[in-house]
Amino acid sequence: MSELSANERLRERVLRTIAGQEVYCDWEGFLWDPDDWNEELAVAFAAESGIAELSEEQWQVIHFVRDYYEKNLRAPLNKELRKGTGLSLLTLDAMFPEGLRLGARKVAGLPNPKVCT
Amino acid sequence: MKKIKLTINGREKEVIADDNMVLLDLLRDDLKLTGAKQSCDRKGQCGACTVIVNKKATLSCLTKVSRLEGAKVITVEGLGTSENPHLLQKAFCLAGAIQCGFCTPGMIMAAKALLDENLNPTDEEIKYALRRNLCRCTGYKKIIEAVQLAASFMRGEINPDDITPKPTDPPRGVSHIRPSAMAKACGTANFTADIDMPGAAEIAMVLSPYAHAEIKGIDFSEAEKVHGWIGGMTAKDIKGTNRIKMAVEDRPLLCEDKVHCLGAPVAIIVAETRAQALEAAEKVKVEYNILPTLSSPEEAMAEGAPRVHPDIPNICFEQPLIKGDIESGWKEATTVVEDHFTTQIVHQAPLEPENSVAFMEGEGEDAELVVIGRSINIHLHKANIQDALGFDSVRYEEAYSGGNFGQKLEISSEGFTAAAALHFNRAVRYTPSLYESMLISSKRHAYDMKFKIGANADGKIVALDMDLVADNGAYNSAGHKFILRALHMLTSAYYVPNIHVASKLVYTNNPYGSAARGAGPPQVHFALESAVEMLAKKCGIDPLEFRRRNSLKTGQTKATGHVVVDVWPFPEQCEDMKPLWERAKKERDAAQNGTVKRGIGLGAAAFGIGFPGDQASSAVEIGEDDIVTIYAAAADPGEGTDSMMTQLAGKVLGLPLDRIRAQLRSTGNTSPAGPASGSRVTLMIGGATVDALQKLRKAMDEAGGKTFKALTDAGKPTRCIGKRNTVDSAPLDPKTGQGPSPETDVMSIQLAEVEVDTTTGEVKIVKMSSTVDSGPIINPNNFTGQMEGGMDMGVGYALREIYVAGETKDWRTLKFPTFKTSFDSEVVTRETPRKEGTLGSTGVGEMAMLSTAPAVINAIEDACGARITELPATPERVLAALKAAGKA
Repeated sequence: MSELSANERLRERVLRTIAGQEVYCDWEGFLWDPDDWNEELAVAFAAESGIAELSEEQWQVIHFVRDYYEKNLRAPLNKELRKGTGLSLLTLDAMFPEGLRLGARKVAGLPNPKVCT
Repeated sequence: MKKIKLTINGREKEVIADDNMVLLDLLRDDLKLTGAKQSCDRKGQCGACTVIVNKKATLSCLTKVSRLEGAKVITVEGLGTSENPHLLQKAFCLAGAIQCGFCTPGMIMAAKALLDENLNPTDEEIKYALRRNLCRCTGYKKIIEAVQLAASFMRGEINPDDITPKPTDPPRGVSHIRPSAMAKACGTANFTADIDMPGAAEIAMVLSPYAHAEIKGIDFSEAEKVHGWIGGMTAKDIKGTNRIKMAVEDRPLLCEDKVHCLGAPVAIIVAETRAQALEAAEKVKVEYNILPTLSSPEEAMAEGAPRVHPDIPNICFEQPLIKGDIESGWKEATTVVEDHFTTQIVHQAPLEPENSVAFMEGEGEDAELVVIGRSINIHLHKANIQDALGFDSVRYEEAYSGGNFGQKLEISSEGFTAAAALHFNRAVRYTPSLYESMLISSKRHAYDMKFKIGANADGKIVALDMDLVADNGAYNSAGHKFILRALHMLTSAYYVPNIHVASKLVYTNNPYGSAARGAGPPQVHFALESAVEMLAKKCGIDPLEFRRRNSLKTGQTKATGHVVVDVWPFPEQCEDMKPLWERAKKERDAAQNGTVKRGIGLGAAAFGIGFPGDQASSAVEIGEDDIVTIYAAAADPGEGTDSMMTQLAGKVLGLPLDRIRAQLRSTGNTSPAGPASGSRVTLMIGGATVDALQKLRKAMDEAGGKTFKALTDAGKPTRCIGKRNTVDSAPLDPKTGQGPSPETDVMSIQLAEVEVDTTTGEVKIVKMSSTVDSGPIINPNNFTGQMEGGMDMGVGYALREIYVAGETKDWRTLKFPTFKTSFDSEVVTRETPRKEGTLGSTGVGEMAMLSTAPAVINAIEDACGARITELPATPERVLAALKAAGKA
């Protein structure tokens, strides 16, 4: 890590152009403002994580996570996710290369779980 | 062993006790009477374990059970219950004497012993009777008032019912009893160590005895032979990142190949009992290769210095600040003050040790790792644990928490319990000693500040230059944030057009720095307010008038170039302070006598709240029982968050307080809301809650009723969510330090009146006074409690406290404030509504100590001519400064 990047990595957010849209993300790639989310961004975030095309099942998970967040302002617990989608944790986790907590959350536009403001 | 018969809370008991067993352990471990607390490693230093034995207040941690044959013991549980409390318990609640509540049972028992003997005590008699009891939160003033109030109840002069606010009383501006206060007064509020977990395994930690060393090997073979051994863990056993990441991933949960500071965690040992775990930990052999210790930023910045973290330079963050044209500022300046100020590393010193428990709940895919501890940011700490351990299903619950003062912004013990519970699939408990608690927790950063400030012929500050070096200690964590906070608030209450700052954050092998009440600004305020006082005197202007003259005005800019849009009632603060200042001058002039010199000094502060990028969320819900519940992750380690939340709800909904409750402690039923730090809880989490409450109120108004049935009959929601985001989120420019600052500010001026013994260098605080304005006051007792406790902490920072790793081991070596060091204080309030406030209100918890230290230091100089530039102002330093000033 160079000195510049050590300094830069401590900055709060970065303006990115994703799917033709200018949005702020944090340094781990999570949307800064969850209200900026839309499906085009989800497709772009998914592509960045190695998912060439989102399957129907993946969309089902994304929409469940998203809907849950909008009602509760937090991510669903794993047991809630399992119950809500009818899928096992193993299956759910395998659906996103960066895992359920980081991958699915990021694609669904939820804030970084490590937001510490 | 010995068979002993004694009476505890009126019930006869027969116990067979080991000769060394102390009463505290009998009460807590065997009888599950956990009202008496343990803080000081059973050294008799804190009084939290005080009970009454044969009518005398007794430190149960020092009392051998074997000597209690026939004794009559009363614990706080024997005094009263929440339904039928003792008058002392009522008085403590009503007087606002309970903040975190960890010291409360001990205080109440010591007070009972006093009042049983003397129903008309003087304040001095109360101080003497309670002299062995420590409190970090209150500054002791309200505790003395509570004992006096209880005495007046017992004398029949006041009926408690006549002064107890009713649920239907106005929700704002009234000192309603905190929802949690009575449980704390009765000893039934469960702090982490009080949680009953039969069969739980116990943890002991292997901590590094060196500040900087490579780990060459860890050998459990001898430890495994200890009876009760369950297992040992090293970094290799952790499946996740093994890093506790705030902003930088540099702090390992367990050290891998290197230790970076004294007490760094090396291995977790788990055994059936605590004694067995400790014995096994002693037998773990760790082979170290000792490396050179970098004990100061100067050493760490020297050419050729080894790196603390091989992949990151020791200077790990730099932030300049350039505003206006500093050269033209110096040309305009006709009076200049220049000095070099340093502040010390300080332990935040919450009274409760860093206790934690963890266990697995459920089975299979439903298995959840439940961690209970002392977090002030449960959702972040849950995420930290998830990452570090590589395990997603985690729930974090905050227990009742014995103080904070910033220390609990960082994970400490809960990382160890979580790792062990998951690895061994066992319920585990970690009850570290006080010394261990000090070693494993963060500290206040030490700052080194070369400071120069100049004023023009009109007495207006026109230029400020600072070269700041902060000792980050072993880990950055979020150290850069505390540099940025200091820069945001660099010019405090003043308008300064031309500024130049260079700042550096530097790794060393010292304890790692993090949040500590005020976190950054108190250090810089020490330099600023010392220099402002010196500049005022050099200009020949009264220091209060000088401050008023230099007040920032709405529409002007802070150090960061941020234009202030909210109100700025600092000149009014100066007017409020004027009569206090004039009185203090007269009393000082009248008091000059012999070698003990009286002096007065001022310190001002403006403290920004609502930082750019801050976010919080909350939910409220009305149940079928028509009770409205607030669900918000708003930690309450003593400030009174439960009061604030419920009283705001009463105000918005127009409901009596007995129809409102708050659930603030679990990630299982709340959403992320950020930490209980930065004085942001009222503004941000309170703001999000008010947003949710206003939606519920709208639904109630539209439904034409405030009941569950009215809402559901009208098809209206019974649950509403709320958010509070600050407007700006851009960071400061990395080259100029210009950018948006916090949305609003609270401000105060503090006046210190001191006596300096010029023969010994001892400084006595005669009185601290503060004018303060943070908007409308929600709960006056909570508000003044923060101010009084903050000033007490600030005085400790000014005069006594310094943390030296390996030397500061307990409350005595920390120089914890006591009844003996407590002082008279006065708080003058003003309530200017803030445009950005939560119903106009903001927070006050940190501003309370921001300018205490410079006020005290300025008063010392006023008294005897000794200018202290290095905190704390110990007697030795005062004598040296006297000598340097030619006044010795």
